[in-house]
Amino acid sequence: MRFEWFVASRYLRSRRKQSFISIISIISIGGVALGVATVILAIAVLNGVEHGLKDRFLANEAHVVFRLHGHSFFSDYQKRIEQIEAIDEVIATSPVVLSQTAVFPEHSDAIQDVIYIKGIDPVQENKVTGFSEFVDGSTDLLNSTFLEDARLIRDETITGGIVLGARLAARLGVIKGDVLRFIVKLARHPVNESMLLPDLANFVVIGFYESEMAVYDNNFGFIHIDAAQKLYNKPNRVNAIFVRLIDAELAPQVARKIEDAVQFSVLEGMPDARTWMEMQAPLFSALRMEKILTVVIEALIILVAAFNIASTLIMTVMEKTKAIGTLRTLGTSRGNIMKIFMIQGSVIGLLGTMLGTALGLALCWLLSFNNVRPSYWFTLALIVPVFLQVLIALRRALPRHGGWKFGLGVLWLIVIGFALYCAVRPISLADLGLSQVYQMNQLPIQINWFFVIFINALSFLICWLATLYPAWQAANLKPVEALQHE
Amino acid sequence: MPNSAETIIRVVDLHKSYYDGEAELPVLQGINLEIYMSELLAIVGASGVGKSTLLHLIGTLDRPTTGSVLYDEHDIFTLPDTELARFRNKEIGFVFQFHHLLPEFTALENVAMGALITTSNDKTVYKEAEALLDYVGLSERLSHFPSQLSGGERQRVAIARSLINKPKIVLADEPTGNLDRRSSEAVLELLWDLNSKSGQTFVIVTHNQELTQQVDRVVQLVDGNISSG
Repeated sequence: MRFEWFVASRYLRSRRKQSFISIISIISIGGVALGVATVILAIAVLNGVEHGLKDRFLANEAHVVFRLHGHSFFSDYQKRIEQIEAIDEVIATSPVVLSQTAVFPEHSDAIQDVIYIKGIDPVQENKVTGFSEFVDGSTDLLNSTFLEDARLIRDETITGGIVLGARLAARLGVIKGDVLRFIVKLARHPVNESMLLPDLANFVVIGFYESEMAVYDNNFGFIHIDAAQKLYNKPNRVNAIFVRLIDAELAPQVARKIEDAVQFSVLEGMPDARTWMEMQAPLFSALRMEKILTVVIEALIILVAAFNIASTLIMTVMEKTKAIGTLRTLGTSRGNIMKIFMIQGSVIGLLGTMLGTALGLALCWLLSFNNVRPSYWFTLALIVPVFLQVLIALRRALPRHGGWKFGLGVLWLIVIGFALYCAVRPISLADLGLSQVYQMNQLPIQINWFFVIFINALSFLICWLATLYPAWQAANLKPVEALQHE
Repeated sequence: MPNSAETIIRVVDLHKSYYDGEAELPVLQGINLEIYMSELLAIVGASGVGKSTLLHLIGTLDRPTTGSVLYDEHDIFTLPDTELARFRNKEIGFVFQFHHLLPEFTALENVAMGALITTSNDKTVYKEAEALLDYVGLSERLSHFPSQLSGGERQRVAIARSLINKPKIVLADEPTGNLDRRSSEAVLELLWDLNSKSGQTFVIVTHNQELTQQVDRVVQLVDGNISSG
């Protein structure tokens, strides 16, 4: 291989009239580098989003939710809880009454919204979902000062306190201390039986729930489990048990254990333990799909760059035809010739891949400044020395070479332009239209090193494959015809 | 040439045709030729008669349509490409009308190239290349690129290059065809000197009358055949 390297490296740095080809080599390297850099950045962002969502989601969601098929209420829930808590991996459980109800605030005379009501025991719920961490206001659903005040001033029956999702509260236009009316059920009119009267319950808003999970903040209200049971006339019954585990990743196995451990009669219904993964499957599978698509698209970009390499090599082969003939007369075999050109293409691929990895990681680093974006000057101070280094290195490598200045100028403009773009315009999830759904305001970055290595290998492989045809073409030139080529 | 001399190359019933679409263009039509060890053989003939083609076939750069070229009684074209390349590398040196130096490499590197293909000992090779350049009178030009050399100098580099692996045979195709008179003389002197010193076999395709008077033997190619030899 020594001989092939000797010739190939000289051709890559060749300093005679083929400046055109040298510019194309630079462009090829740039193409590969851009492909690799963007895929590393894009996947780091997607990983970051996924990880951020998972963290946020797991912070205020149970790992396993145990219910019955049909979501019916069941008795003896204390016994079921004991059975579930007997499982090793279970840390805590929280009995819950889950329901939906129509609400209207006291200042309104029409139904404003239909919301989910989660009847909880705050102490237990804290252990499972960290409930109180996300509440702005009181979490004492039975004895808050708001409740006492309301009971003092008003002549209506106050059933209890409610903690409302922050966005839901904003939508309904209620503040702490306001009364929210629930329509619990409809009752027949005692005299006119064809008429239905709503059975109302009054709750005082005592706090706002702000978890940054849109599902809860937009749609949920939390009341005390006793109040919920009273509301639906289901004393001492619940319809769900929320479970927290030592490790969220164990959810699937533990869910099966719970289903086995908790015994129900046929009449009561089939137990159904759902994991957080199942509950959020659409979201996470969408993210995974997005990642796969990203890789496919970026692979296409690298493929384009590889075609670039192939055409560069084909041109080089054409330009070097005479030299190939000469080398053949000197006794190089087809294999030698093939290697010379494969090395050239592979070096371009390798340089591009390495440059792209460096660029991608640098961009990840730049973007990981959370919301504090580096200033123009900081970015320039970072990039100018790097660029000068590259310039000096290239000047040394390519003495007496004219055309490269143009190529470098273009490269320089691209780098500066992109750096300024990054500096001036923070990429936020709002730009991507994601903040509404995920409520994350900064772009999370998480570099998956395994993937970085994978994309490096993939990029290099694609570039290497691109060298095969031109190299084969060079190797199959007939020595005599090649020598006479003008 | 005396019959006692050892035959190094035997060309047997060599045919070579080129194809232009359907039309067959016969160039060599049954060449029989023996080339002896250490002789200086000139091949002459009108242009287009196939002198260069014959030289290429002897040099294994091309394969014949039919017939064979025997080196030490071995049919060289039965070898696979890799071994043929190795054979060419070790046993044959080429000098062309146009120097065919590689423009990206210095004179020294151009001369060393043939040996670098197979060796791992660069130092020795460069030393030998230096000695060869010194021998052809270019010891001052080692690190010059071909574009920085004159025509005669380039041709002398090309001759030095053909000798790096100490080949048994040097094939020269119009080695002075592109040179002025003075450069030609210098190149030819070099060839005679080499032949007398190293005993290498030289096969020279030429138009140069002066040259044909100074060789051991002249064969003339007429209509794809040898007319005298």
